[in-house]
Amino acid sequence: MSRYIALRLAKGLLTFFIAVTITFLIVRLMPGDPTTALISDSLSPEDALVLKESFGLDKPLYQQYFLFIRNLLKGDLGYSFFYKDSVASIIGNKLWWTLLLMGSSLFMTLLIGIPLGVISAKHQGKLLDQAINVAVVIGVSIFVPLLAFLLLYSFSFKLMWTPIGGAYSPGIDPSKMFGSVVSHMILPCATLVITYLASTVLYMRNSMLDVLKEDYVRTAKAKGVNDRKVTWSHALRNALIPTVTVTGLMIGKMVAGAVLTETVFSWPGVGTMIYDAVQKQDFPLLQGAFLVLAASVVVMTLITDLVVAWLDPRIKL
Amino acid sequence: MREKTFLESFCRHRLGVIGFIGVALILLAGIVGPFFVPFQRGYGEAMPLVGPSGGNILGTDALGLDLFSEIIWGARTSVLISASAVLVAMFIGIPLGLVSGYSRGKIGALIDSAIEITMTIPTLPLMILISALVGPSVRTVALVIGVFAWPTLARIVRNSTLKVSQMQYIEAAKVLGISKGSIMFKHILLNIAGPALVDITLIMATAVLTESSLSYLGLGDPNVWSWGGILQTAFKAGHHFRAWWLVIFPAASIMLYVIFFNLLGIGINETLNPKSRK
Repeated sequence: MSRYIALRLAKGLLTFFIAVTITFLIVRLMPGDPTTALISDSLSPEDALVLKESFGLDKPLYQQYFLFIRNLLKGDLGYSFFYKDSVASIIGNKLWWTLLLMGSSLFMTLLIGIPLGVISAKHQGKLLDQAINVAVVIGVSIFVPLLAFLLLYSFSFKLMWTPIGGAYSPGIDPSKMFGSVVSHMILPCATLVITYLASTVLYMRNSMLDVLKEDYVRTAKAKGVNDRKVTWSHALRNALIPTVTVTGLMIGKMVAGAVLTETVFSWPGVGTMIYDAVQKQDFPLLQGAFLVLAASVVVMTLITDLVVAWLDPRIKL
Repeated sequence: MREKTFLESFCRHRLGVIGFIGVALILLAGIVGPFFVPFQRGYGEAMPLVGPSGGNILGTDALGLDLFSEIIWGARTSVLISASAVLVAMFIGIPLGLVSGYSRGKIGALIDSAIEITMTIPTLPLMILISALVGPSVRTVALVIGVFAWPTLARIVRNSTLKVSQMQYIEAAKVLGISKGSIMFKHILLNIAGPALVDITLIMATAVLTESSLSYLGLGDPNVWSWGGILQTAFKAGHHFRAWWLVIFPAASIMLYVIFFNLLGIGINETLNPKSRK
């Protein structure tokens, strides 16, 4: 078990290290002067010089690389052009909103998708199979801003059931904060759930179908364990393993969905921040956003790996 | 009875045929459409922000330009970018997949990790960073999408190569002393063209989703019309609630493009492996 975790941890760290290296090289090796990408031209010459020294832009590339890594380890992600503040503290305020949105959406997708997958495996039929296949094709073809806009237009603009944007009503009493956030989160969360639900149902259904053919399921049935218990306790646990593994791989893609969703609902997370940073050409903020999102994905993937290890005792051997 | 050809079997796959026709129409719209659209590049004579009507069948944008024409021009951008991105992905993914599947060992393991890591990294924020730094253009966007689209193709080529390289004719080729490169790029590649083609059609679909997302975020080439760019302009100006056609039609074009390519991919896949059809 500890060997498995160590291996996964090493892989996660390697992934993040590669993301860091790519970022470093992109900014340094881009055509043109890297200073324009790192240091705002609105800074006073003295401040610019201080920043230039902290990046080591006058030193050879490998020394800049060590400086870059050292700054990262200190939690220093650079200085935003637009907000004139440290990138780390700006993103620190936004990241939790993005993680909240992604975490809830992932949780809801699994909560709805797993039972649906099991049920559809138990009730195989041409019509149901076709319905799932159509849903999967539509799911992978969804252009997230369109879905988000349609939900916003119908439920917030026309029906006025849900708030029009943001994550909470401004100036609200702290005791009502939770309810306010939930009502603001319904539509963004629904956007992501609709986008990723069909694939989850399909994976769950296929792995359930495989597991139901296994000998131990037949044995359990032959021993007289009732069908419901065999399905929902014996088979489910094993069928979950591939589904959770695939969900882990989905997280990276889900970041793209979350970024796009946030922009439509003005959700105050990293996605909306990226949108604003693009309009304002705030490169340090974009660089920081990528690094932080990459780190988040690595951590979330690690968590799914741990869940897989917990589900699959064979890994512990 | 003689065996059915691929074409004959494909024609019986209804969804695949729908996808094929849709893809053909989009390619046609993208390649020759711009020569026939009612208002060619430039300003139209219509009023701004008018809904769909006889004069402008899909309405007009905030500048009074005909939306239908913009969408046809947008088709050209989408076809150009997704096709170039696919070429880039093929150029990287196919050789890596072949080498990883055929030579295994340390190089194979290295390529496998590269595939896995590239698939884990959240690529959209990275593509945003690169496009913003280099400055958005058709070439940048196509390159950036292609450079991050290769892992699925490499993985599929690798898995198919693993299977094919066990076959007797490859053993025979080895015994005959045919060079490694020739075995990989001729004998194996020809036999894995099917699965690779399926993934290529799927990459065409995701490439357009990514291209549209980038231009929706404001990173499209400002000098060409694109579906995502039309959306970006509408959202930025706050016209999206008033002028619904500026959102629905370009977004529907994106989704139709993606759905048709996905259906084509499914059709080819299920014709090649009838077993996968459940």
